[in-house]
Amino acid sequence: MIPAGYRETKLADPFEIYLGPIHETGEKPNRRFAFLIDDRHVNRRKVMHGGMMMTYADATLGALAADLSDGMIAVTLNMQSQFLAPAPLGKIIEVKPELTRRTRSMLFIRGDFTVGSEIVMTASSVWKLLGA
Amino acid sequence: MTAAALPEGAEEIPFVGYNHYVGPLYRLPDRDGFHRFCFRVDERHMNCAGAVHGGMLMSLADIAMSRAARAGTDAQNSSTVSLSCDFVAPGKLGEIIEAKVRVTRRARTTVFLSADIISDDRVLLVASGIWKIA
Repeated sequence: MIPAGYRETKLADPFEIYLGPIHETGEKPNRRFAFLIDDRHVNRRKVMHGGMMMTYADATLGALAADLSDGMIAVTLNMQSQFLAPAPLGKIIEVKPELTRRTRSMLFIRGDFTVGSEIVMTASSVWKLLGA
Repeated sequence: MTAAALPEGAEEIPFVGYNHYVGPLYRLPDRDGFHRFCFRVDERHMNCAGAVHGGMLMSLADIAMSRAARAGTDAQNSSTVSLSCDFVAPGKLGEIIEAKVRVTRRARTTVFLSADIISDDRVLLVASGIWKIA
C-alpha cells in the first residue's frame, strides 16, 4: 500500500506511464517519491528488475532536474547505479532525490532508494540543461 | 512509418515479468567477440520528447550484460552490482536498437563487462558494469 499523504505523480513519458504509477509527497523541488513493486516490475526471482530500478531512478532524479531547470529541458548525460540489496515484489521503494551541485548548464543529482529502512540502490546522475 | 526489419538470426528470448512486459527482446548471433541482443522501438518505449526513454536503453544494457555475464558458464543467476551509462545520442521510434556486449574479465563470481547500445552504426549509449554470478 502506498503510504497515506502521497498523491499520484503526473507522468508525461509514455514509458513511465506504461510502467507507473509513481506517487509523491511534498512540493517541488522537495518531492519524495514512492513506487509499489508489482508483477510487471520483477524478474524471475520476484525482485525488482535492475532495468526497472534504473527507469525509476531516471524518472525521479529527472523529476528533480525538471523542477530545477527554469523551463529548460534537462537530458540525462550519465547515470551510475549501485545495487546494494534486492527490492522484493509487493514492497514500496522510496527516494528523495538530492541536488549535489548545479552549474550554469549542468545538474548533478543523486538518490538513495530505500525499502523500509534499508538502502537497496544508490544512483547518481548528470543532467544537461538544453540551451543553457 | 514502417518499422525496421529484425537482423538476421534474431531469436525471441522467452521471458517473464519486466523483461516480458517491456519486450519482446531478441538474441542475435555472437559476432567478433560481442554478445548481441536487440529490440524494436515502439510507442511504449518513448519519452515525451520523441526519443527512446533512457530507462529503456539502460534496461536493454542491463538485460544484455546480465545474460552475457553468465554466457558459457553454468551460473544460474547474475545480479547487477554496478552499472554506469553515458547517454550519447537519442534513439528513435521504429528503430532496431542493438546491444553489443563484451566481457572484459570473468573472475570466479565477478564479471566485468562493457556494452555499446547502437542503432545501425550510431552509438546511443555506452555502458560499463560489474555483475556477480552464482
